[in-house]
Amino acid sequence: MAIVNLQNVTYKYPLTDVPVLQNINLQVEEGEFVAVIGPNGAGKSTLCYTLAGFAPHFFKGELTGIVEVAGVESHNSILSEWVLNVGLAFQNPFNQISGAKYTVFEELAFGLENIGIPRDEMIARVEGAMKLTGISDLADRSPYSLSGGQQQRVALASILVMQPRVLVLDEPTSQMDPIGTREVFGVIHSMAESGMTVILVEHKMEWIAQFADRVIALKDGEILMNGDPSEVLTSPLLPSNGFGTSRYTSVARRAQELGLWNEGKLPITLDEAVRGFNSSLTKEEIPDARAK
Amino acid sequence: MHERLSFFVKRDSPIHRLNPMTKAVMALSLVLIAFLSPWYWTPLALFLFVILPLSLVARVAREYWNFILKVILPTLIILFIMQAFFLPGESRSIFEVFGLEITELSARLAFRNVMRILVMISSFTILLLTTHPSELMSDLSRRGLPGQFAYVVISSLQIIPQMQAKAQTIISAQRSRGLDTQSSFLRRVGGILPLVGPLVFGSLVEVEERAIAIEARGFTSTRPKTFLREIQDTSFDRALRWALIACVILTLILRIWLS
Repeated sequence: MAIVNLQNVTYKYPLTDVPVLQNINLQVEEGEFVAVIGPNGAGKSTLCYTLAGFAPHFFKGELTGIVEVAGVESHNSILSEWVLNVGLAFQNPFNQISGAKYTVFEELAFGLENIGIPRDEMIARVEGAMKLTGISDLADRSPYSLSGGQQQRVALASILVMQPRVLVLDEPTSQMDPIGTREVFGVIHSMAESGMTVILVEHKMEWIAQFADRVIALKDGEILMNGDPSEVLTSPLLPSNGFGTSRYTSVARRAQELGLWNEGKLPITLDEAVRGFNSSLTKEEIPDARAK
Repeated sequence: MHERLSFFVKRDSPIHRLNPMTKAVMALSLVLIAFLSPWYWTPLALFLFVILPLSLVARVAREYWNFILKVILPTLIILFIMQAFFLPGESRSIFEVFGLEITELSARLAFRNVMRILVMISSFTILLLTTHPSELMSDLSRRGLPGQFAYVVISSLQIIPQMQAKAQTIISAQRSRGLDTQSSFLRRVGGILPLVGPLVFGSLVEVEERAIAIEARGFTSTRPKTFLREIQDTSFDRALRWALIACVILTLILRIWLS
């Protein structure tokens, strides 16, 4: 039984006629790491809000179909209970800081205070989450005095302490520099390793290729593709529909056009690209390509 | 950038160790006694024999005087002059200018009002200097203050400085694109108007995101809350609170009795 189960989900924001999500069918197994890609306006954030219960509980609007997480249906739940199963983190780390707390430690405890976790367990959970996200040394700092990557890790840790069954991440690294991105992906990876179900919206294909078990391509509110990363990320449908591709795939595709790529499949990671070019490019072939 | 709107000075003193509620009751009682007391000299006596020793015991005298001398004293002087001129008082004139006069009585009343206000500001200043805002709020929410109210108070203290920093960023960005910040007043006001849009709309978007973020952390949960901060509430605290309330009631009785 899938932990996340969406059936024929269609969602319209209030005061709009065009549905942002149309007929979404999606099942995610416990412990799976699913990446969602799509051009701007494809409905990625709305999908996150739907999974996390904010559509329709927070935004109102009209939701049809079944949204089910851990056996509970969204329609029959209230938001403050729903968020105990599904944690949500998003782009801007600054706006995810509660503003009600003066230290990182207290910031992490904010959610646990709200849901009434006893103090001893609260401290143990906060310490655990800080360790997992590598922010233990920031415990006494003000959340506002941190760098973007540190703030985003605090935001992730603040959700992790709640111990949700499913973690929904809406472009958590889009405002990060390369160092911040690496820090945040390190945390996401270790959470996935620990067995948490992760649904990640992300543009950085190189990172998706490295970590995701499955990739879903969303376009105009509908699922265009749903499958193995090596299939979805190398599909010729991606460039023609306004999706980005990994730089390794792009280079190999260009090489394929020039007759320099003899492998069957296009690569999605650096290692695959290196292996492919190693076997494709023998020394005699290079002058050939120049001639072309 | 990292500064916050808080007076709190971290020190180790008997006043710092008091329960936040006790300090709040103390501040409020001092104000009520200063305003209700039937005796003319009460506010001055409170200032000299309660407020000043308190600021020393709390080890915040330097910060306290800094604030009083720089911010409050000028206001109080202006207030005294205005009140002395305009309060009615049929008695011997001490000073006269442009047909306005200060009489002995109006000066006396003005002095008392100024002292009352000094006591009021001082007692709350000492409360804020010795009490961490989130300690005060978590103690109050433990006593039944709605969580939403506590959140609004605490988050404003932190978010307003962040908004000021953002306004500064927008102004710098516009200045680098030729915003006039030095010519005549009217022109400058005209130049500021287009800055208000991005700040206000940007803040509204931020508010929605922040609402989602705290909601994702169970902000509106109906489960009973727990607290990370453990706040002491000793029997001495409780005794002190009752004593202060008794003093206020006594003052009220005396006032009714003597008038």
